[in-house]
Amino acid sequence: MSMHDPLKPLFDVEEMEISFGPQHPATHGVLRVQIKLDGERIMEAKPIIGYLHRGTEKLFETMAFPACIPHTDRMDYVTSATNNQGFCVAMEKLLGLTIPPRAAYIRMILAELQRLASHLVWLATHAIDIGAITPFFYTFRERDAILDLFEEYCGARLTLNTMRIGGVPFELPEGWLDRCSAFIEAFPKHIEEYETLLTENRIWKKRTIGIGVIPAEEAIEMGMTGPPLRGSGVEWDIRKVFPYDRYDEIEFDIPTGKNCDTYDRYLVRMEEMRQSVRIIRQCIEKIPDGPIMAKAPKVLRAKEGMVYASVESPKGELGYFIVATEKGTTPYRCRVRPPSFVNLQALPQLVEGALVADLVAVIGTLDIVLGEIDR
Amino acid sequence: MPEAVLNLLLIPLIKIVVLLGVVLLIVAYLTYAERKILAYMQVRLGPNRVGPKGWLQPIADGLKLFVKEDLIPGGAERFVFLLAPGLIMVPALLMFAVIPFGEPFKVGGRTITPYLADVNIAILLLLGISSIGVFGIILGGWSSNSKFSLMGGLRSAAQMISYEIPMGFAVVSVLMMAGTLSLVGIVEAQRQAHIWFVLPGILAFGIYWICGVAETNRNPFDLPEAEAELVAGFHTEYSGMKFALFFLAEYANMMVISALATVMFFGGWLPPFPNLLAGLWASPVLAWIPGVVWFAAKMGFFLFCYIWFRGTFPRYRFDQLMAVGWKWLLPLSLANVMLVGVLMLWWKG
Amino acid sequence: MPVKEFFKTLVPVELFQGLGVTGAYLFRKKETVQYPEKRLEPQDRFRGMFGYSLERCIDCHLCAKACPISIIHIKDHTEVEEVEGPDGKIKKKKTKVIDRYDIDVKRCMFCGLCEEACPTDEKSIWLTTKSYEGAVYERNEALYFDKERLGSWEGFVGFPGVKAPAEGQLPSDPLGKKKAAEGGA
Repeated sequence: MSMHDPLKPLFDVEEMEISFGPQHPATHGVLRVQIKLDGERIMEAKPIIGYLHRGTEKLFETMAFPACIPHTDRMDYVTSATNNQGFCVAMEKLLGLTIPPRAAYIRMILAELQRLASHLVWLATHAIDIGAITPFFYTFRERDAILDLFEEYCGARLTLNTMRIGGVPFELPEGWLDRCSAFIEAFPKHIEEYETLLTENRIWKKRTIGIGVIPAEEAIEMGMTGPPLRGSGVEWDIRKVFPYDRYDEIEFDIPTGKNCDTYDRYLVRMEEMRQSVRIIRQCIEKIPDGPIMAKAPKVLRAKEGMVYASVESPKGELGYFIVATEKGTTPYRCRVRPPSFVNLQALPQLVEGALVADLVAVIGTLDIVLGEIDR
Repeated sequence: MPEAVLNLLLIPLIKIVVLLGVVLLIVAYLTYAERKILAYMQVRLGPNRVGPKGWLQPIADGLKLFVKEDLIPGGAERFVFLLAPGLIMVPALLMFAVIPFGEPFKVGGRTITPYLADVNIAILLLLGISSIGVFGIILGGWSSNSKFSLMGGLRSAAQMISYEIPMGFAVVSVLMMAGTLSLVGIVEAQRQAHIWFVLPGILAFGIYWICGVAETNRNPFDLPEAEAELVAGFHTEYSGMKFALFFLAEYANMMVISALATVMFFGGWLPPFPNLLAGLWASPVLAWIPGVVWFAAKMGFFLFCYIWFRGTFPRYRFDQLMAVGWKWLLPLSLANVMLVGVLMLWWKG
Repeated sequence: MPVKEFFKTLVPVELFQGLGVTGAYLFRKKETVQYPEKRLEPQDRFRGMFGYSLERCIDCHLCAKACPISIIHIKDHTEVEEVEGPDGKIKKKKTKVIDRYDIDVKRCMFCGLCEEACPTDEKSIWLTTKSYEGAVYERNEALYFDKERLGSWEGFVGFPGVKAPAEGQLPSDPLGKKKAAEGGA
């Protein structure tokens, strides 16, 4: 196409430095990207984080194990159920608890519903960044239905606090499974609606195909996980490779992309939504009766040791590394491996030489949540 | 009262007042319509609190913008900063002077034309004036002393210049068919041709419409004010009434583009197939419909399309926009001029 | 570019399909809920505003311990009363009296762990009150509830139909619907 090297300025001009954010409509929170521009071309992009730092990891050290769970809600506030799940899975590994099957199935349903909700938020914001404003309202309508289900189950809509170490706190309300299955049966139709608006749309394709390309090897080197990694063609899903809860009893596929670009990551996430529907459908069929909490003492005391356990959050691998002292009631240290934080690393590489508009698309496709990045 | 005073001063003055009033009112309510239609497309209700069904919303908006503090950012080029909104608003309103809204009608034995002037080079005039509007955007973007505004202004300059050319060629094919530059003449030519120009000039219409959307900086070509990238583009730093002027000018431009599309391709104030179905239009049920209503209906449809597009499409990237303009629309419009020429030769000869 | 591709590019079918979707929505039912006139009723488990029953509370401090951010402040003292037993002997009876049961509602994150920790049969501290309009102008005073205010909800307007805890609100049934149904049956 163009004859000259896109990274070399055409004329001897001064670079323009722009602080993109922290208050900017497209940075999804308080991300600040310092970009150096030659005209509209990005010469260098530097993400600057820390505007939402609340010291969650340090907070964990001061509070009893069960009391940590509401705080995990507030890291990735779009997917609080999977955050809860990650912490609980790690703690159960530390304490050697096995959760009853019914609890595991409830957890999986909640986590997959949360994955749907999170992907819907991603689609909404990604589309609105690229200029399509209407999918935002359609996706939020469906997300609202999911939040209604959450509200009925645990009483909250966003910061759910819906799992406990050793199980789940509540029995399912009467008729909840029916309402849930009614929702997921209706949901694929809505996905088709979004796809009619976007997938084949030539403008959407132009804005996403070939944008933010990262080959598989580099994505792995960067430590990327979740849809950004799968969009590069790597079949890596914690639910399959290190199954937790009862994901080993469920059948589902891992969608992968080929071209490693924004469009493929979009397709991967759309397919993931369909797979989530499939998982929920199976869970509803298979859910057994029984207790919902493992037998655990009222006050949890850990043995000395450390543990790392991770779950597949909608954004990628969400890991908790917990160090405990003998008979301690609080974590000695809790380190969270947030997927958004690690995926954000790739931003400078993804946008180098691209245009300003691509930066917006790439931020959207990485699906970052600043609450999780800064913690 | 001397006849000359009446003809040259009073009647034009009344017409100007009526035209300005109607145009500004429509522009104000176009913002209301946009919010309402977008809301309905997005399973929302839209403004419905101010007045019944929100009918007073545009007035409330106007009042709010009017009493708002008028900020001038530090380091701004004061004079140019103040000049820019006027520079975009005046041409936008000026263009309405030559647009024919309906047939001449008689009031008290006097023939009144529902347009200010039937200029014999109306289209050239319109293309010329619409190019002035871009200065308002560039200067506004530059004088704000903001990087986002500057980028918006520059984008706008490039965009408007590159889309004016295919638009011009699309208009040329209409001129060839009509054989006149006067807008009234174009409508009359369509009456004589028994057919709206959109049928022979479907390609020209497509090109004109795409360029028109791009000229008015509307989605999917709203790059100068792409909010996800440039916050609000060239008017990021404008507030209060100055912002309102930019806003109104954008909608006035939309109206001009729609009105031109109506005049050039859809027979202006003529009903569909004015001659073939002449019997039907002369029937007592339909005969009372004045030409202005036909005009308004067609223009309304195009304005609706503007809003519809905004509700549906993503936004092009800057370089892609340029590619669409130069690599697709320009060659197509040139080919279209050729095609129309050949067809006309074949038709007449 | 093949001819077919060229015409595919020229006639934007997929764009018209998109227009069809948004156009069809013009006539669909709208999702908006006109808020102040119409209020959505929260679900039964909805965690809204605190309810507290001084009578049921056994002063065990479990809620304060469960609270992740320690916003439940309890102070008590033991009163010793000399009571004559049935056999005539004078016995010392100890009762715990709650002096202070304060919840700093403005800092609350509505996790509901206090309610879960409460050991009484009908919970004595509960969040499931279906009330969600807690916005105030001055939060330091308006959103600091002591034990009287927790019961009376002075200065707080509950969800329409919800009574204050002191007027007999039950944690499992804040609207009194189940009670009415039982009473009717």
